[in-house]
Amino acid sequence: MRKIGWFEAVLIVLPIFLTGALLAAIISLFLVPTLAEIWESLLSEEMLFSLKLTMWTSSLSTALVFMVAVPTGYSLSRINFWGKSMVKAIIDLPIAFPELVLGLCLLLLFGNPVLQNFFGRLGFDFVFTKQGIVLAQFFTALPYAVRIIKSTFDYIPPRLEFVSRSLGYSMFETFLKVSLPLAKSGLLAATIIAFARSIGTFGTVLILAGGSYMQTEILPITLYLNISYGNMPMAITSGIILVIVSFIAILIFEKSEASI
Amino acid sequence: MRLIYLLISLLMAIPAWAGSDLTIYSGAGLMKPMETLRINFEKEHDIKIKVHYGGSGEIFGMLGTGQCCDVFIPGAEKYTNDAKKNGWVKPGTDQKVVKHIPVIVVPKGNPGNIKSLSDLARKDVKIALGDPRACAIGKLSKKLLQKNNLYEGVKKRIVVSGPTVNQLLIYVAMNRVQGAIIWEDVVAWAEGKGKVEVIRIPENENIIKTVPCSVTTCSKNPELARQFTQYIASDQAIEIWEKWGFKRCAK
Repeated sequence: MRKIGWFEAVLIVLPIFLTGALLAAIISLFLVPTLAEIWESLLSEEMLFSLKLTMWTSSLSTALVFMVAVPTGYSLSRINFWGKSMVKAIIDLPIAFPELVLGLCLLLLFGNPVLQNFFGRLGFDFVFTKQGIVLAQFFTALPYAVRIIKSTFDYIPPRLEFVSRSLGYSMFETFLKVSLPLAKSGLLAATIIAFARSIGTFGTVLILAGGSYMQTEILPITLYLNISYGNMPMAITSGIILVIVSFIAILIFEKSEASI
Repeated sequence: MRLIYLLISLLMAIPAWAGSDLTIYSGAGLMKPMETLRINFEKEHDIKIKVHYGGSGEIFGMLGTGQCCDVFIPGAEKYTNDAKKNGWVKPGTDQKVVKHIPVIVVPKGNPGNIKSLSDLARKDVKIALGDPRACAIGKLSKKLLQKNNLYEGVKKRIVVSGPTVNQLLIYVAMNRVQGAIIWEDVVAWAEGKGKVEVIRIPENENIIKTVPCSVTTCSKNPELARQFTQYIASDQAIEIWEKWGFKRCAK
């Protein structure tokens, strides 16, 4: 048998140990409540409301993220303009920001009387509302999608686009008919991650949309509220749904071979 | 390798729960005065005290699942009474410490021109109330509005129901709502800084709670625990409570 050095042993044992610990933590979430409790929580009025609202808002914010992130990611990958590195850094900022801080920033900005009035005339109100949930999810998920889409375009050789241009396509046609189809897997990955991130947004939603019972209650808020209500089965059930969604998202993401 | 040793020793330096002479469960809203009281008592008796701060429901639940403490100080008497019924605290050791008074809090300058409870039901105001299922102040706001036959009207003015009292204070201090009902002691700090204004609720309309403390039946050091409960209700300690906006109980 091949001799294993100490360094190699550490390299093998550490990830296995880590995975084991993480797995045990996740499994314990599933073990605490009984099936009947989970079932009952799942069918409660509050959970159905929260599930429905979560799906609506997350789908909407993912669509918005997609519409903004594709041109932004393409621009950051292909075009050089003044202040580009600054733009990139600022778009990425919410990744490092605690969600609560982001929520506070958005509340201060969109709750500002002048801006609130302006948006109010257009039919938007983002403070303590369901629209606020979408806005919070949008800003939380956007940087992830932009990053993935940018790095996807980085890997597509610009030469292909030059060829397309020389054969008569305009820049827009090239983008639509050459670049986008080539970036397919990256776009899928970006959408999945944006959706998963939207579903899991907590702090931003809590502060901007208020996290009110059966009003602006999405899954992570259901989890949080029910911990403070002392209703563990409900809290754990929302936790389980969130884990399952993230797990599916990560699986699809791994398959798509995109990178953040 | 040296780095790993360093990390491990740093990890172990994070104080663990074991090794204290007294363990106290305290309502999270009492944290500020309680920290001063803890340090004073530690110095006086040369001992170590561990305090766990949590929501009243949470610390009540911890006691219920058999995690022992010596002194139990929830935010409202209801929890002590329930604990007494369940045999978790020693009868005769419970003491009223200070008053917990709900007040109306409005942003600086009172933009909603709120002067009384009934103003909270006015059509042009936006208010925040605690979630009655999540926090003591939420439950109490509902009760005292019902007592004044205002709850149905006020309910329509609620734009956000916060699960914690601190969140309510943020929304008021940032002028996102025109009023909220919060504990007087919680707003004492923000009021002092001029961020918010307090509107007192007349005593006949209000429901005033007291903060109780008691020694548990599972205490391993009941004598010391008893001394601690007497200390935090003493005249000397009341001065510290008052500094943080709590009011003395009528003897």
